[in-house]
Amino acid sequence: MAVEVLPLAQLKLATGPSPVTAEQRYWRSFKNQKSHTSTASWPISHISFPTTVGATTSNSLVAAAKLNDLFAVTSGPRVDIFSIRKREPLKTIGRFDSEAHSGEIRADGRVLVAGEDSGKMQVFDVGGGTRAVILKTWHIHKQPVWVTRWSPTELTTLMSASDDKTVRLWDLPSNNPSRMFTGHSDYVRCGAFMPGGNSNLIVSGSYDETVRVWDARSPGGSVLTFKHADPIEDVLPLPLGTTLLAAAGSAISVLDLVAAKPLRLITNHQKTVTSLSLASNGRRVVSGSLDGHVKVFETSGWNVVAGSKYPSPVLSIAVIAAGATQEDRHLAVGMQSGVLSLRTRLSGSAAEKARERAAEEAARDIGPQALDKLDSQKAKRKRKAVSNKAMALLGESVDVIIPTEATNSAGGRARRVKLRPWQEKFRRGRYAAALDDVVDMSGPDYQPVTALTLFVALRHRSALREALEGRDEVTVLPLLRWVSKYISDPRYVSVCVDVTFHLLDIYSEYVGGSSELADQFQMLWGKVSKEVEKAQMAIITTGMVESLMIGRME
Amino acid sequence: MVSRTDVNGDTAALKKRKREQKDDAVLALKRLRSKPHAKQQSNGNVEVASSLGEHGADSSEAPAQNTNGEDVGLPDVSLPEAARGAETEPSASWKVSKPMGGRMLDIDPIFSLDERHLIITYNTSIQVYSAENSLLVRRIALPVTGSDTGNDLMSTHIVASSLSKTSPEYVWVACSDGRIWHINWKTGAGTDTPFIIEVKKVLGMTVEAVEMGGATQDVLLVLKKLTKASGQIMAFDAKALSQGEGQLIHTYDESPQLLQFAAGGRLIVAAAKETLHIGLLKSNKKLNSIGDLEFQFHSFGVPDPITCFDIRSETQTHKKRTEIKSVDLTIGCARGAIYLYDDVLSKLPGGGSRSGKTSLFQPRKYHWHRRAVHCVKWSEDGNYLISGGYETVLVLWQLDTGKIDFLPHLSAAIENIVVSPRGSSYALHLDDNSTMIMSTAEMKPTMYVSGIQSLVLGEQPSKESVVQRVWKPVDEISRPLVTASNPRNPSQMFLCVGNGQQATLGGGVPSTPLLQIFDISSFQSVAKHAIARTNPTDANVTSQGVPIIEPMVTKLSFSPDGKWLASVDEWQPPERDVDAFLTGSKTVGEVSQERRETYLKFWEVGEDDSSLQLVSRINEAHHTSQPEIIFDLASDPTSSRFATIGNDGMVRFWTSKLRRRDGLASTGPEGQQLRAWSCSRTVALPARGQQVDLVETPAKESRSGALTFSEDGSILFAAFGASSEGVVVAIDAETGALRDVVSGMFKGKIRGIKALSSCLIMLSEELTVYDVVSDELQYSFGLKETSEAAKRLTQLAVNYQSRTFALVAPIPNPTQERMRKGAKSELAIFSVDDAEPQLVQTFPLLITSVMPAPESSGFVAVDSKAQIWSVTEGADQAPILQPLADIGIDGDADAKAEADPLDLAGEDGGASDEEMDDADQDVEMEDDYDIHAAVVAPQRLAEIFNAAPAFAMPPIEDLFYQVAKLFSTKPVNA
Repeated sequence: MAVEVLPLAQLKLATGPSPVTAEQRYWRSFKNQKSHTSTASWPISHISFPTTVGATTSNSLVAAAKLNDLFAVTSGPRVDIFSIRKREPLKTIGRFDSEAHSGEIRADGRVLVAGEDSGKMQVFDVGGGTRAVILKTWHIHKQPVWVTRWSPTELTTLMSASDDKTVRLWDLPSNNPSRMFTGHSDYVRCGAFMPGGNSNLIVSGSYDETVRVWDARSPGGSVLTFKHADPIEDVLPLPLGTTLLAAAGSAISVLDLVAAKPLRLITNHQKTVTSLSLASNGRRVVSGSLDGHVKVFETSGWNVVAGSKYPSPVLSIAVIAAGATQEDRHLAVGMQSGVLSLRTRLSGSAAEKARERAAEEAARDIGPQALDKLDSQKAKRKRKAVSNKAMALLGESVDVIIPTEATNSAGGRARRVKLRPWQEKFRRGRYAAALDDVVDMSGPDYQPVTALTLFVALRHRSALREALEGRDEVTVLPLLRWVSKYISDPRYVSVCVDVTFHLLDIYSEYVGGSSELADQFQMLWGKVSKEVEKAQMAIITTGMVESLMIGRME
Repeated sequence: MVSRTDVNGDTAALKKRKREQKDDAVLALKRLRSKPHAKQQSNGNVEVASSLGEHGADSSEAPAQNTNGEDVGLPDVSLPEAARGAETEPSASWKVSKPMGGRMLDIDPIFSLDERHLIITYNTSIQVYSAENSLLVRRIALPVTGSDTGNDLMSTHIVASSLSKTSPEYVWVACSDGRIWHINWKTGAGTDTPFIIEVKKVLGMTVEAVEMGGATQDVLLVLKKLTKASGQIMAFDAKALSQGEGQLIHTYDESPQLLQFAAGGRLIVAAAKETLHIGLLKSNKKLNSIGDLEFQFHSFGVPDPITCFDIRSETQTHKKRTEIKSVDLTIGCARGAIYLYDDVLSKLPGGGSRSGKTSLFQPRKYHWHRRAVHCVKWSEDGNYLISGGYETVLVLWQLDTGKIDFLPHLSAAIENIVVSPRGSSYALHLDDNSTMIMSTAEMKPTMYVSGIQSLVLGEQPSKESVVQRVWKPVDEISRPLVTASNPRNPSQMFLCVGNGQQATLGGGVPSTPLLQIFDISSFQSVAKHAIARTNPTDANVTSQGVPIIEPMVTKLSFSPDGKWLASVDEWQPPERDVDAFLTGSKTVGEVSQERRETYLKFWEVGEDDSSLQLVSRINEAHHTSQPEIIFDLASDPTSSRFATIGNDGMVRFWTSKLRRRDGLASTGPEGQQLRAWSCSRTVALPARGQQVDLVETPAKESRSGALTFSEDGSILFAAFGASSEGVVVAIDAETGALRDVVSGMFKGKIRGIKALSSCLIMLSEELTVYDVVSDELQYSFGLKETSEAAKRLTQLAVNYQSRTFALVAPIPNPTQERMRKGAKSELAIFSVDDAEPQLVQTFPLLITSVMPAPESSGFVAVDSKAQIWSVTEGADQAPILQPLADIGIDGDADAKAEADPLDLAGEDGGASDEEMDDADQDVEMEDDYDIHAAVVAPQRLAEIFNAAPAFAMPPIEDLFYQVAKLFSTKPVNA
């Protein structure tokens, strides 16, 4: 039936590389940096928080993890326990004889395990009180213990890896390790339980440049070994449990455990990659390196989607998730300088509030008028919400509700698109007036592409000349100014040339009588001659390159 | 037979191509003339071909016979003849179906009295539609044939149709050559016995019930042409018609146009350019015969040429005498004004004889339309005027208050408006070959029918052209209709159409920015999409009054899985706009070409086959310093890949890949993977590089190109070059390497290339079939063509199922260069290994498009009257295009209709396929068989009956229920 009147569709110009991608925007939204410097500026060696990503744990454990509000930061001989909500340290565990490593909180958020340089492993109660109670101490490792990890499925199982080249499995109540894996020929500096159903598998990376996968069920040595070119600094199993990332030197290798082969080598960092972390529910991986860069990778093609630079070498990194949906909350980066940087992304109502506050501040800066406007907008929104609510309630008692606005087939409100003044003028055939509106560069919603859209539409409608004709000095000048500004843009040049031709054709005879017009044409001439120069340079270059190519072919 | 081997010898050798044969063949395919008359073959086709001149005469005689009342009933006599000839040929028995569809004429659609049916007059038929569900109830083909050979002024066409006022199941239909049919639209009877009146040309006809001799009977008024600027009104009743002698009522001098008869035969209004003639019955006595009909005529001038008018008369009866009480008259004029004359009778000079031209009246003037008012009508109660025109706006004038209401932005210009007998709805005939019924209360359509909206050659001059315009309507078809069929749903035909005939008004090339999806099995328009820029809601003329030119879709191609559609459209500013840009030695054409916009678009076809979503748009897919034409677009038959060839001498391959944003696969709202199309490979063709190096001049020479994939998709054949030296290049579709470069394969501009098994079929100024594997010429024909348009309209289509290809070419007409009315086309079907065409068929109309019939071995052709023809081979029943009337049911004759499928199903248990086919054919042959509505697509029936071989068929009871279900799903209003 009758077609709805739609505004003139904006011209789609060829898309160049976007300066800011959606992903970059997302990672930039981690704002409000908060820095903590550790006592005596000890380097931040480890950041961890209990994660349940990909783990098939009991429901209570998952629930506990979701309620968890704690994350642990290890620096020097201390482990600081922070609150995720408040971003502040709650308590500090300083009961280490030497440098502590790998302070890890259990998924239920009750106990923490850490190793230290002396070879001791201690389990602390992080629950009540400011002083952490030591619940358990093992001193079996004779060399520094660099890795202690809780099993994602069993509350009482944990693993350790040490400079004594061994990886061990522990049971919390017993005094001796339940299993010891030997095979590495150098320090073992990283390790993890495999997520998913196969938490019997443990992976470890060592300075002997190998990543080894151990199976608790099978006796003997490692079930899989991946040899690398550099010492392994960190390993990170992906949630699915079939892929493993290993940071070896400045590269990150992607290892496929099923096919038992490396998939890819990511070489985006310039210096040793020290830390890897999952983000966005396992869909992104964040890496930190000694070059001070933090990079975000997507997990299908392993392209870098975002990155940022920190002032000091990055030693540890974690994207701390919180809430029921486990969305990214903080980007925690620990540096060599002893600074822990916490950047936070607001979500939901918090973000809404922050936006409102920002708008209010901006309005206050502009002046009382803007503030009034903002207030009236707010009031309007509120009224609408109230009336909507009233309508919803009304529906329960009355028989028929006649909606004030027609609904379209999709169920939503079929709102008639309101035409902008220039669109309306264009539709009514008042082309010159429409043109005046869009080329006004001082207008509040001036956009060059709108003007281009109108110019092209006029050309399509054979009305370009009509729109340019019959102007006086005052109304022709904005057009000339517009053309001079955009004639150098390759996307605009075709239209600008046409407009210029018409303007010259129509108004050249008046140039003598108007100095402003003459000036404007002079400016346009200058601009065009500059472009011509550029084109000539390009042609010369083409000629040179061509002769080179011919020489090569011969 | 000796000569035949000779011929074969000729064709096998390259050098002996029969190009130089310049003998005076009238034939499109010159080569055919050298064919031997192999007598034992009774070679119908060859004879037809070789004696085309006589054949043309035959066909011109045939309708003449028809007019004598013999042997009518087939739409075109020449066709069955030729088809018969083809059938007798032993090699392959090709059949040409009767045409379907057509173009709605600029004649008011007719409501049946109960408003249940709408009778629409097409250019070759009368079609009865159900007003409730838009379904075709009956198609009554009329033998309106182009009996004229060449003289386009005298082409016969239907000029008027009118419902009989005494027996409402009859319609009167008048043809310009003097034939008048009295057709029972409920049965379809009456098409073979027209009345014939002796006239030069019939201009109009109107019917009114007149009481004569105690009985009311239909009296026809016929407006006939005397000279170019004078006409006569004749009156006929049934008796007079059968004798062919009518009663002369009035003769007048101004070029006559419109005629209406009203008020029980007491009033005649005739319009002629700027004069109105009003005739009143002289005596108020009882009439006994039409001899008593005598009218007194008054004429008066009106301010502007009349394009349409409507009368509203009231009669009153007292003392058994009927008198006209009042007559209100409204006229629509060529410059957009509507004039209203109240109570004309009282103002007429009383009693006096012909008072000459008076303009005593001061009419009321209503001016909103920018251009000619195409139609103005009174509403039923007389309080409103309804008018429509080129602006695509239905205007409702409330007469008392002067308030105007609009129903804006309809899909095309309004041609006719009819108010239903009860006044509850309007029927609108739009210029895009569609008719709708709208309820007056809600202004919502309740019924919509649309035919193929391709460009047709109008029979009558447009109402716009009454006054001088700055534009000139296109009077020839110069471009083939771009069509494609959807592989996923083969009955759907995709046609690139314009905004109705107004697309022709721009001059130059017609714009075709719309894609019509037309289901040829149900013969209904499924959907229409804009695939290029359209301005449905903006004024469609510039301020100078020139129509705005919209882009023209030049190529259309589906991927083999039917998921993707690629289209090419181009637009360039009209030459009148580019005067200001002339610099140096450039011509207007060149400047305009520099500003050409060429888009290659890739569309994702939705699951329901009628929704299209634009996925990628490539601006200037081929360009040098300026955008270049895309000559051809080919689709890989094995994968979703397209190739294009452009004037820049490049072949580009286009493939889709997952759309990525910032290195991430982007997904749609439902999480589906999005794809984007981009150029995956560019291959430079060799010819041009050499030429540019050697001489600069060929760059100016117009080049041509064509593309095709081999059947297995491994090789892309590209033909490209200037008219003097073209090459055919075989490109490895995987690597892009040039496998072979052959020059001198075609002559002149290449217009089409197709690959069929190992052969390449090339269409240039000659038709060449070349075996690529054995590297030898199979055969070639020179084509005899005259104009550029004719060359463009020569087309090639390959049917891979029957391993044949069809060539259509306009038949050169020595008297007429352009492809106007009266142009004819010839279709020839070949196989690659036999130079003997399997069928040569002359069509009485220009064929604008040919394509292989999907899932069948035949071809489908669209002609310049928006009709579809199907050409099928042997026993192969094209699942498309069966005359719908033969299988549907008629709401009125439901009992009979029910009996039909029962009969089919009721045949003894193992109703085999052959029997079914026979039954179908029987039905098809019985032309006068009681025709029923088309509700059930023939494939549906075939699905039921061909589901299994005879011995494995389900029980007959099941069959019955299936068939019954099929027929009972759609509500039929009996």
